Amino acid sequence: MAFNTLFKKDIVVDSGKLTAKQRRFAYTSLTPILLYMGVFTLFPIVWAVVMSFFSYSPIREGSGFLGLGGANPFIKIDNYIELFTGTSKPAEVFRLALKNTFMFTALVLPLNLLITLPLAVILESIGERFKTLFRAIYFLPTISSSVALVIIWSYMYAPGWGLLSIMFKAVGLVPPKSWLQDPSLVYFGVPLAMICVVIAHVWQDFGYNLVIFVAALQSIPKTLREAARVDGANAWQEFWLVVVPLLRRTVLLTSVLTVISSLQVFVIFQLLTRGGPKNQTQTLLLSIYENAFKFANNLGLSAAMSMILFIIILILTVIQFRILRTEWEY
Amino acid sequence: MKKLLFVFIMASLVLAACGGGAPAATDAPASTEPIVIRVWGHQAPAFNEANQKMFDDFMKADPNVIIKYETFPWDVFIQTIQTSLPAGNTADVILIPGGYTCRYASGGQLLEVPANVMTLDQAKGIFYDAPLGGQTCDGKLYGFPAEYNLEYGGAYVNPALFEAAGIAYPPKWENWDAVVADATKMTTIGSDGVMTVAGMHYTNSDQLFTYFLAGILEQGGNYFADDGKHFNFNSPEAVATIQKLMDMAQKDKIVDPIIFNADSEWVGDSFAQGHNAIGVLGSWYAGDAKIGYPDLVFDYVSLPPMMGSEHKFVSVGGWGYVVGKSTKNPEIAWKLASFLGANEANVLYFNSHSATIPAMKSVAADPKYVEAVPFASAVLPILDAGAYQGNLTDPDQLAYEIIYPTILDAIQGNQTAEEAANSINEAANAMVDAAQ
Repeated sequence: MAFNTLFKKDIVVDSGKLTAKQRRFAYTSLTPILLYMGVFTLFPIVWAVVMSFFSYSPIREGSGFLGLGGANPFIKIDNYIELFTGTSKPAEVFRLALKNTFMFTALVLPLNLLITLPLAVILESIGERFKTLFRAIYFLPTISSSVALVIIWSYMYAPGWGLLSIMFKAVGLVPPKSWLQDPSLVYFGVPLAMICVVIAHVWQDFGYNLVIFVAALQSIPKTLREAARVDGANAWQEFWLVVVPLLRRTVLLTSVLTVISSLQVFVIFQLLTRGGPKNQTQTLLLSIYENAFKFANNLGLSAAMSMILFIIILILTVIQFRILRTEWEY
Repeated sequence: MKKLLFVFIMASLVLAACGGGAPAATDAPASTEPIVIRVWGHQAPAFNEANQKMFDDFMKADPNVIIKYETFPWDVFIQTIQTSLPAGNTADVILIPGGYTCRYASGGQLLEVPANVMTLDQAKGIFYDAPLGGQTCDGKLYGFPAEYNLEYGGAYVNPALFEAAGIAYPPKWENWDAVVADATKMTTIGSDGVMTVAGMHYTNSDQLFTYFLAGILEQGGNYFADDGKHFNFNSPEAVATIQKLMDMAQKDKIVDPIIFNADSEWVGDSFAQGHNAIGVLGSWYAGDAKIGYPDLVFDYVSLPPMMGSEHKFVSVGGWGYVVGKSTKNPEIAWKLASFLGANEANVLYFNSHSATIPAMKSVAADPKYVEAVPFASAVLPILDAGAYQGNLTDPDQLAYEIIYPTILDAIQGNQTAEEAANSINEAANAMVDAAQ
């Protein structure tokens, strides 16, 4: 607090305005980073917004500013209308991808929390040496290359000779003919391929939330738990009635972060299933990529898809900010 | 205002520092200064080695030229040319994949082959129709085909599996039924009821696409509508072809399409691991197989027509050398492209070294080529029967998003041949309409 006051005094004159020298320093410092942000962050966003209102393909030579116009005409909100009501294959696949993306997120979130929260409590209760070791082990997949992990999982899910099939056979169970490619295998409305991707993703990703939960558990004052014990609470009551309520803010935070990251998963889908079988694991990001770079180079349509994803993530980010703004004190 | 001016000046300074700026007049290269020609290609060891040797030969003959060969992984390469060609920031010469030339030529991003280098009429006498079609747009020649992309007419066969099933080897099939009969004998089902060896793996994406179009043509049909832009994919010939592809899996049971398809047990790797006895795939895979599986014993044999009595098929064309419109040295660039793609000795070297099917007729007839690439002899007799696939609007979307998944779905038993044909027809024509 004292340091902040001193610092403020140092750079702000009594009237609250910066001196000419200070302004020069501020502008000189800020210009490079603002330029960088402008060119590499702001411009692409603005460009994507603009493109979403054009039938734009980079392989067509447009006539107007930056190739907008002529062969790349302005079509108002037709891209958005097409995506939500059109009968073309990309539009149909997009709507399916939107549903699949939400399905994936809805599966990942509870599974992730169901694993990470109890595991964090267990980790928190064991000795410091083992705690560090297990924390590192659980965090390892999070920092490993997604491509390498997908290769491992593709061996696990290989039909017939894959590890999962062998394990099923070893215990007398009949494995599915194909874990990732049989469109007829759907359980409670969820395709088996999607379940497989969810499991692989959660395995890779749960270490991140685990570390957050462990940190949150460590920040809970021991006195509160001790007081509960003195009042006669057993271990379950202590966890459910004391720890969980105090972790509510962390749970909300990790939930929002998990949802946002789940909406942006790409590599595991691209490498493990490529959206198949029958588009059962097609997601928004896969559709954006395929329409932009694989098929037709329809960047206008892809930009419209990106905007829809952007709006979804923006809403979630606003929620996240509101959660973080809440004042908490133990 | 002062603030804005200051920010503007700072921005200008930073931009000036970042950019190289245009060379001053005094920096202009003297006539004796070497000319740098950039060439782009994808990363493929055999292609890259063959090209590099030809570049060395070119630079030896013309020491004033320095060739910079830049290669990219496939996905990066495609994205790079997609963004760089329209931006006018490409290499001088590009080894471009089949089907891509007209996409960029129609956008004005490639140079037409100058008449003093080669005319279209001259090219027609030199190259096969199918690969040449891939480099010809609206009656104009835009490049030299380096190879003939062929996904039809040949298959990899595993001698051990033939021997184990007591089938004569190498096979000499008189008709498609004979192929299916042998495949049936070699299909193996495990004790758990799961297919462990497919008699014939034909359910890869490129093969279902290629054989669907070929099946229509072999019966005398046409997949284009009268306007030449839209499609006629629900014709009786199309339905019959889909039905044939379905019957081989559902009645003859020579492949389980849930286990064996483009995303699971991919035909090349599956064949190399002994998981299919007859692997229907382009001859281009032989080179990769020899590198990836050096101990693999196999042959590449010809397949009879599937739906008719004569071979009829279409091809995406094949890789070809083109020149970007942004080149500052078009004469040298065309000299190099011609050296690579139109010089018979070099073409022979390239096709022999990369084990690709020649686009040049004289090379295909050269005994040295057959000696270097013996397995190609299985498909050389049918090269004249091929045609360019034509303007499919978006060939990748048509093949991989519309035709392949729909036919695979039908083969997997989820729709009838008629339903599949109607679905393909509707989606393909919607694609054409959306592009107009």
